[in-house]
Amino acid sequence: MNREIIVAAAAVVAVAIALLAGCETAPEGNSTLDEARAAVQAAESDASVAKHAQAEINRARSLLTNAEGAMQQRGVGDAVTAHYAYLATQMARIAEQRAHEQIAMARIKAGETERRQILSSARESEASQAQAQAESQRLAAQLADLQAAQTDRGIVLTLGDVLFDTGRSQLKPGATRALDQIAAFLNEHPERRVQIEGFTDSQGASNYNLELSQSRADAVAMAIIRRGVDAQRVRALGYGEEFPKTGNSSEGSRQMNRRVEIIVSNNDASIPGRIAGVP
Amino acid sequence: MDHFKNGISLTSIRNGLWCATAFGIVACASAPMAVEKLAVAKTSIQRAEQAQAGQFAQVELQAARTKLAAAQTAADRRDAEAAARMADQADVDAQLAESTARAKQQEQLVTEMEAGLRELRNEALRRDHAGSAPPQPPGR
Repeated sequence: MNREIIVAAAAVVAVAIALLAGCETAPEGNSTLDEARAAVQAAESDASVAKHAQAEINRARSLLTNAEGAMQQRGVGDAVTAHYAYLATQMARIAEQRAHEQIAMARIKAGETERRQILSSARESEASQAQAQAESQRLAAQLADLQAAQTDRGIVLTLGDVLFDTGRSQLKPGATRALDQIAAFLNEHPERRVQIEGFTDSQGASNYNLELSQSRADAVAMAIIRRGVDAQRVRALGYGEEFPKTGNSSEGSRQMNRRVEIIVSNNDASIPGRIAGVP
Repeated sequence: MDHFKNGISLTSIRNGLWCATAFGIVACASAPMAVEKLAVAKTSIQRAEQAQAGQFAQVELQAARTKLAAAQTAADRRDAEAAARMADQADVDAQLAESTARAKQQEQLVTEMEAGLRELRNEALRRDHAGSAPPQPPGR
């Protein structure tokens, strides 16, 4: 009989301990429940959480239902209510964190796509830059051959007066090579235009000089057109004594002023007109 | 003496069995559940640790460990109900630690990636700007 009493006593003590332990872990039931209601509601009303963590929201909602049920059955301040309320709150937080993770992962994915795009367009632009550089080097070589100069108006090539006899506008054979090269260049770059400008020194009547410069420019234009360049792209202008390269005081400087300038446009741009006072 | 002794022992054994059965229904019904829940919580804590919760979700991970210890203590004193509850709480704490750590790590990656992208965009902008000027052949 003694043993029975001991066993019964032990059972009572165990139950008491269990109850005490239960009370120990029981915070205020109601405030935990309120917290859980707020947490679950916040998670449910967040569209991104609904999208990325529906399963967690459902679990949080059902845990909250458990907590509400426990509260109705067992009253305020109950450990089971507080327990389920705590689980519901944590589950709502888990749902939110899952959503944060998914959003961040989506951003990383989008960022990687953008990164690839930037890098591939960088490669493209590097390639096109390399191509442009090669083109410009080729151009530079051609220009160097013609002793032409790059200016704001375009590529300027100057034919000296030695290519014309005094007072004449007939091109001498010495111009052939230069004209062949210019025509070849223009045929290779069909988007470019060419303007031919004739100039004289200040000796003689200015009207005569104007006409002479025009007819020399025309002669060069004709020579280029004959080499296959569309006449629409070619324009010839006589400026006479205007825009001298230098003063007309000595024979050397006058020779520099007697010239025909061939201006090839930069790309398909039109060639800007001459501004008075600028040689 | 023998008969008497035998009778007492039979009665006491029978009563003891009843007692044990009655106690066992209460204790045993939830004890395996508590053991299971303890194992689940332990696994969740390990998952959280693997997700670097120690670095990114210290508070949550610590809560989970504390509750697991409390659950173990409750189980040791054969309080299956408290053990099960504590284990459940340790489990959600650990899950929260894991998901928080994962989210924070991804967000850190986003920050790093966006810094890298900003640099790339600026670089591209600088290059496009430099590339927009036409190539200049040598002048006279």
